[in-house]
Amino acid sequence: MMTDRRAVRWGLLLSAIWLAGALLVSYRVGAAAENALAVQEARSVGESFDATQRPARTATRYVPVAGPIQQVVRVMTRLVGPAAERMREEERVLVWRTLRERYISVPVKDADAWDIVGAVVVAANPVSIPWIVWLAVFGSGLLAAALLRRGMRLAATDRETAPYYLVADGIAVLAIGTAVSALLLRGHLEDIALRLPEVTAQTRFDPMVLTLPNGRVVALLLAGLWAVCTVGLVGVAWLASPRQSVATRRTARTAWAFLAPSALHLLCFTLGPLAFTAWLSVHRWDLLEIDRPFIGLANYAELVRDPLFWKALRNTALYSLYVPVTMVLALGAAVLLNQPLRGIRVLRAMVFLPAIVSYVAIAMVWQWIYHADYGLLNHVLRSLGASGHDWLGDPATALPALMVVSVWVQLGYQMVVYLAGLQGVPATLLEAARLDGANAWTRFWQVTVPLLRPVSLYLLVTGIIWSFQVFALVYVMTEGGPTRATDVLVYQIYQNAWEFRRMGYASALSWVLFALLVGLTLLQWRLLNKRVEHAA
Amino acid sequence: MAGVRLQHLVKRFPDGSTAVSGLTLDVQAGEFLVLVGPSGCGKTTALRMIAGLEVPTMGRVLIGEQDVTDLPPGDRDVAMVFQNYALYPHFTVQENIEFPLRMRKVVATERARRAREVAESLGIAPYLARRPAELSGGQRQRVALARALVREPAVFLFDEPLSNLDAQVRAATRAELVRLHRRLGITIIHVTHDQVEAMSMAQRVAVMHEGRLEQCAPPMEVYGTPATLFTAQFVGSPLVNTISGRVDGSGGRQVFTGPLVVPVHATPGDATLAVRPEHLRLGPAEGAPEATIVLVEPLGAETIVHLALHDGTELRARLPGNSTMEAGAVVQVSVDPMQALVFDAAGRLAGRGRG
Ligand SMILES: Nc1ncnc2c1ncn2[C@@H]1O[C@H](COP(=O)(O)OP(=O)(O)OP(=O)(O)O)[C@@H](O)[C@H]1O
Ligand SMILES: [Mg+2]
Repeated sequence: MMTDRRAVRWGLLLSAIWLAGALLVSYRVGAAAENALAVQEARSVGESFDATQRPARTATRYVPVAGPIQQVVRVMTRLVGPAAERMREEERVLVWRTLRERYISVPVKDADAWDIVGAVVVAANPVSIPWIVWLAVFGSGLLAAALLRRGMRLAATDRETAPYYLVADGIAVLAIGTAVSALLLRGHLEDIALRLPEVTAQTRFDPMVLTLPNGRVVALLLAGLWAVCTVGLVGVAWLASPRQSVATRRTARTAWAFLAPSALHLLCFTLGPLAFTAWLSVHRWDLLEIDRPFIGLANYAELVRDPLFWKALRNTALYSLYVPVTMVLALGAAVLLNQPLRGIRVLRAMVFLPAIVSYVAIAMVWQWIYHADYGLLNHVLRSLGASGHDWLGDPATALPALMVVSVWVQLGYQMVVYLAGLQGVPATLLEAARLDGANAWTRFWQVTVPLLRPVSLYLLVTGIIWSFQVFALVYVMTEGGPTRATDVLVYQIYQNAWEFRRMGYASALSWVLFALLVGLTLLQWRLLNKRVEHAA
Repeated sequence: MAGVRLQHLVKRFPDGSTAVSGLTLDVQAGEFLVLVGPSGCGKTTALRMIAGLEVPTMGRVLIGEQDVTDLPPGDRDVAMVFQNYALYPHFTVQENIEFPLRMRKVVATERARRAREVAESLGIAPYLARRPAELSGGQRQRVALARALVREPAVFLFDEPLSNLDAQVRAATRAELVRLHRRLGITIIHVTHDQVEAMSMAQRVAVMHEGRLEQCAPPMEVYGTPATLFTAQFVGSPLVNTISGRVDGSGGRQVFTGPLVVPVHATPGDATLAVRPEHLRLGPAEGAPEATIVLVEPLGAETIVHLALHDGTELRARLPGNSTMEAGAVVQVSVDPMQALVFDAAGRLAGRGRG
């Protein structure tokens, strides 16, 4: 018992020292490297371009660059002008293959940007990949050894096995960290390549436009990785600890077996695409091109500056106002339909029906209802003596028109949820209120509505989350128009991705939407966890 | 404060089941009446009809001199404490207690004063700012009580308000309710199926069975002179001994004959002899039948002995705690004739033993 606890304390102390050390070293090294890299590369690339200004020099030049990660930048240019040699085929290495090839080449074009007259090749020599693989293998081997010797939890805390664990943890972190820095380096190189101005006789190359990965970010990333790895390992160790009985573990295994299909599905169709869009959002990708150059946060920066994005965000937020409106109507309907009347079930089913019909079908029907010339709504209005209106064609009414459709669709669903909620209100509470002298109105507002608070919260937050994802209605009924009056976030994502072929930008938009939705969901959790407790 | 009169109350539910069939009961003003009966006998239904939560199929409900049968619950001047307390979970204790006053448009300062007063008298003043979920069962029960008391209603209705409490709190609350009743002199109709509650708190006990009133009398009378065999069996623990047989003879010389023979004053015919366990005597007696001891339950202060007569009739005897009895032994069983009760074939009291 005592030794166990001392081991834990030692482990924690070592971990803390390790963490502090890692933070300090990578921060210092990162900052120094940032400077060195910036200066060196700017100079070397600049020199090479100086050389290109003087057509006499055609030789390939190697410019060594010192840095935290060993790296060589080779600048290779040929004659600019009519006498220029054609670039050899094997030099036209595509950017996206560079991690394997470990160098990238960017074509240099002549003055009228027609012919490729040379290439800037930036070759990197990060820690070689086999080494990373071997490190990972060795690390996991050590871990496995520690695991086999003692239970996982003990392995992490026991004095005898803690060293194995710590070393393995360290190696794993190192391997992952190296892989990450290799990736960062690659991104960095791609970024340099991207930002090279086109070489013409008129261009003066400004070396300071080169951006480099931020040393602080690298340090934080590494430290974060370490933390995640450690927490993950300890977490796994705790889960797999022998403290659990055999039966519990068997239950857990069975549970995982049942969860596996959905976990796999989640991995393939949710987490995978999510990671892919995250990756895409820091790249530029035209769909038709193989090149997906890394451009950092440029997509996000553009998004913030784009008035269309703000317009779409505003429209989406306005649109989501239909949710509280629907809730009020749904609660009213639920109260009305909560009576034990004959045929009430049929009525309930009818109100619920729109919720299970395809949105596209609904959109098409309502498109007809709203039609300016032969729509049902205008027909009714005219027969009542009023004048018709182009509901979907007028920027002032298009969004409200869509909101009305959404109210109509969501009403049934929300009503059913409220009906369930009403049935959960204890009858004795309402009876107590009757005895206390409350009339029906007071009982509703003082007892029923407060007790429905969790239901209302659930409907509100899920409703808003859904409303932020509106697409089909807009796509079918208005295509974001007129004058972008109904342009919403998802529609803009769709347009950017498939109409403007700006996958990177669309991915950045998706991530903004994702962040909004995650925020809303967290809010819902927090609010719902403070749910009304029904007194026992 | 007012009395309650139930006149031929009948409640038939739409599904055809009859919960209460012809209940007539007079509750005096200021009386503590306990309504007992087995589960499903219609106690709650009767109470709900008094409260106005259930509309009687037939019969009238009078509170004081006023016929309230057609009045809504809020206008009847009755307060009810539910078994699950029915506290409003979203209100604080203070708001819960003030709610009935708020509904009666009492001004805020007056409300707060009265709520505090009641809360202090029940010892829940420290919890006024809490919500019901943050209280123990006993505290919730007091809050429910406070909410009923604060209105100063004419009649209090309690539907098993103690059944969710643990034994100790229940005993304490029982005593407290009795004190409260004495102090305030309020009319209380208290439903329970706990006999201890009924015996210890009631001024009168009303025993219900299948929607009907079996007997309404002070506790000792219900125990000592039950009007029906059902009441005799329902009240008292362990269960009263019943021995079937006949009453023969006439002119003050009748005798009950069965496994036991007892001289009685009763109308002749098929009959059941009922004897409380404490009135059974074990030990040598002339002409007494023999019984085998089946089980001995020493309970500390007393010992319950289960016996079987030769014809299979099971008997229970309550003996002092220090009695030494062995299961399997054979003893002679006799009864104290003065304490024996005779019920006729219809289960009505038909006479008792004579000395
Ligand atoms: N709403 C109802 N609809 C149909 N039958 C009902 C209804 N309420 C009660 N009953 C029936 O009426 C009978 C009496 O019920 P009641 O609740 O009054 O019994 P109780 O004496 O309070 O029983 P307990 O001691 O278990 O609370 C039961 O048979 C019950 O099934
Ligand atoms: Mg009941």
